[in-house]
Amino acid sequence: MFGPFRLTNPLSGGLLWKIPWRLSRHQKYRQRNRLRHVDSVISTVEAALGRQSKTIRKVEMWKAEMPVEQEMLPKDKYTVFDRKVKRYRKGIHKVPKWTRVSQRLNPPGF
Amino acid sequence: MAYFRITLLRSAIGLPLKSRQTLSALGLKKRMATVYHPVTQTIAGQIMRVKELVDVAEVAEPKTVQQMREARRPDPGYYVEKTYGSGDRIV
Repeated sequence: MFGPFRLTNPLSGGLLWKIPWRLSRHQKYRQRNRLRHVDSVISTVEAALGRQSKTIRKVEMWKAEMPVEQEMLPKDKYTVFDRKVKRYRKGIHKVPKWTRVSQRLNPPGF
Repeated sequence: MAYFRITLLRSAIGLPLKSRQTLSALGLKKRMATVYHPVTQTIAGQIMRVKELVDVAEVAEPKTVQQMREARRPDPGYYVEKTYGSGDRIV
């Protein structure tokens, strides 16, 4: 019943490795930390350039269109738009390399 | 003059060639490697390309490899009061 050799679907033969359809709360916690870390990198770069009264277009564009972690809705933090999925949303952990890409914006209305 | 202290936290395995080439242009070859670059628009653009992978801080002076290695060295837990033959000798 319990222990490492319990009879579960993945262990009783066959290929059945399921990815849960939503993130666990620990995955969500780490996702928030990653989002905040990217925000801190951007603000560091912006502040460092600002001290020399310079800026770059990439930072300006990011500041203009990307929300910071605190401004984002939970929906946008943990799920992404996908036109093939029922109700047009899937967990962000289904995105390839999802811990190392910035995926913050989704189409309006979805 | 200000410098960026850039540390590679996440590997770029499986990421686009542009990201991997940016890292090698910054001189970051493996995780937890740290490099110092002057604060310029060029370097800032390169950091923006790999912003998910690196940790960035602005520092006044760059550290040499020897200084970084010394900073990592743990406290030995003792100090040397006197070594043989170095102090005052009774002649």
